Amino acid sequence: MTDKDYILCECELSPLEQFIASLEKDFEIKMAGGPAVCLTMIKAEDSVEGQPFYLGEALTTECEVLVNGIPGLGLCMGDEPVRSYCIAFLDALEQLDGPHTGRVDAFLQDQARLISEARTLEYNHILRTRVDFKLMEQE
Amino acid sequence: MGYIAVKGGTDAIHNARELVEFYRLKKAVKPIEIEQIRSQLRLSIDKVMGEGGIYATEYAALAIKQMEGDVFEAAFVLRAFRATLQRKFYSETINTREMFVKRKISASFREIPGGQILGPTRDYIQRMLDTAKAIETKEDVETFLAGFAAHIDPAKLADIAHFDKVIDLLKKEGLLQPVGNDEDTTLKDITREAIKFPAPRSARLQMLARAETGGLMALGYSSMRGFGSVHPTVGELRYGAVPVRVKDRLGRVRYIGSIEVTEAEMISEYKAKSKKAIPYYSIGYGLCFGQNDTKAICMGILDRAMRSPEGNSPSNDQEFVLYHTEGIESMGFTNHLKLPHYVTFQSGLNNVRAAIERNAAAVPPSTINPSVIIPSLQPV
Repeated sequence: MTDKDYILCECELSPLEQFIASLEKDFEIKMAGGPAVCLTMIKAEDSVEGQPFYLGEALTTECEVLVNGIPGLGLCMGDEPVRSYCIAFLDALEQLDGPHTGRVDAFLQDQARLISEARTLEYNHILRTRVDFKLMEQE
Repeated sequence: MGYIAVKGGTDAIHNARELVEFYRLKKAVKPIEIEQIRSQLRLSIDKVMGEGGIYATEYAALAIKQMEGDVFEAAFVLRAFRATLQRKFYSETINTREMFVKRKISASFREIPGGQILGPTRDYIQRMLDTAKAIETKEDVETFLAGFAAHIDPAKLADIAHFDKVIDLLKKEGLLQPVGNDEDTTLKDITREAIKFPAPRSARLQMLARAETGGLMALGYSSMRGFGSVHPTVGELRYGAVPVRVKDRLGRVRYIGSIEVTEAEMISEYKAKSKKAIPYYSIGYGLCFGQNDTKAICMGILDRAMRSPEGNSPSNDQEFVLYHTEGIESMGFTNHLKLPHYVTFQSGLNNVRAAIERNAAAVPPSTINPSVIIPSLQPV
């Protein structure tokens, strides 16, 4: 399955929030830090000589929770307190066995499919702008 | 001459601040929503983020709204906002080969891996004022989107692909080589350490990435026009989204989102001093936040120009390029001219008056032309 963090960062916020709300009641949750915004410095490199350099920073939100005493860390780009909390919650939950596991996997698979469909659709719109070269004598 | 400290203006400043808000709002129309700016002023946001040095679409939109569309001021606000935040993470090196490509063109080769994909661009349309936009309605938007969606048959979708680069073609043939001059390749961070000249290439690329687009264009253009030696070809220009990953405090590499970037690989012929030297091509590299072809291309030109051994043109001079394309510092210095310079100017005025008096005293009265003595400069 696609990387969990990728799915949770890229999926729509509303279904994620609703899904987490449906799980929360079964656990003891304590906020251990944040959510709070901070910065991530983006490292890049030139594509020929491999010269590393810093491109600039990106706004990032981080959150730390304890779920039944198990720590979970949530990180995502942007000012996204709810999403970072949801990521942190599921990060902790991953370390806890229980009946929720199947539900989490099903949710992630469902969201992965939706993300993939949306991206594939966008990609196909982009592909419509691919140049179809013809020689001058061709029609 | 003594200095006299004066104070005042607090009320005027407060009132000016209120007045500028009044001018922004006086027509009492519906306030622009941040989401409207984010989705419909995409390219302004990209410029502001690039020059502000922080990728934050929501705050760039807010800054544009606050500053009434002035991208210089919006970038200034964003960079100041950035200074209030703690840097907690450094990303893994982003890989543009992983890009979700939205645009990919080459001016060097017709056939490139994956083909020439024009993407979202107005490059090939006439710059005619579209008066229909003046009466655009939500229904128009929905009609357009429905028509656009209908172009794709959901049953015949191609899978997403990642593409090799154009420079790979040149590399395979050994035609593309590093510039080859001995320069400092250490990784510096100009936000933590003041730049010194000659600057390492990492510092130069970082400064260029957050330089002002117009400034980069002016100097890049000067090089192409002959005030410099670089007139390259676009090897490849790419725009799209690249994943960003960081290590969390437990050491796990985590995906945190993606950023949109424009990347330009500008190919120049290396001019060897020796006639016997084998010719080859070298690259100038441009990479910036968002969709900004002009900035990435000019960054590539200037990256290459600053590595030229000839330092006799503005675009080849590191200090000239990097200090004067830094939009926020340039704007700050220019605008400081509006601040009170009363003491400096009065001092100069006294000197001018004294010189005129001395001149008048030294010249016989019959030769003085009264019209050359400016009345306003006469001592009071």
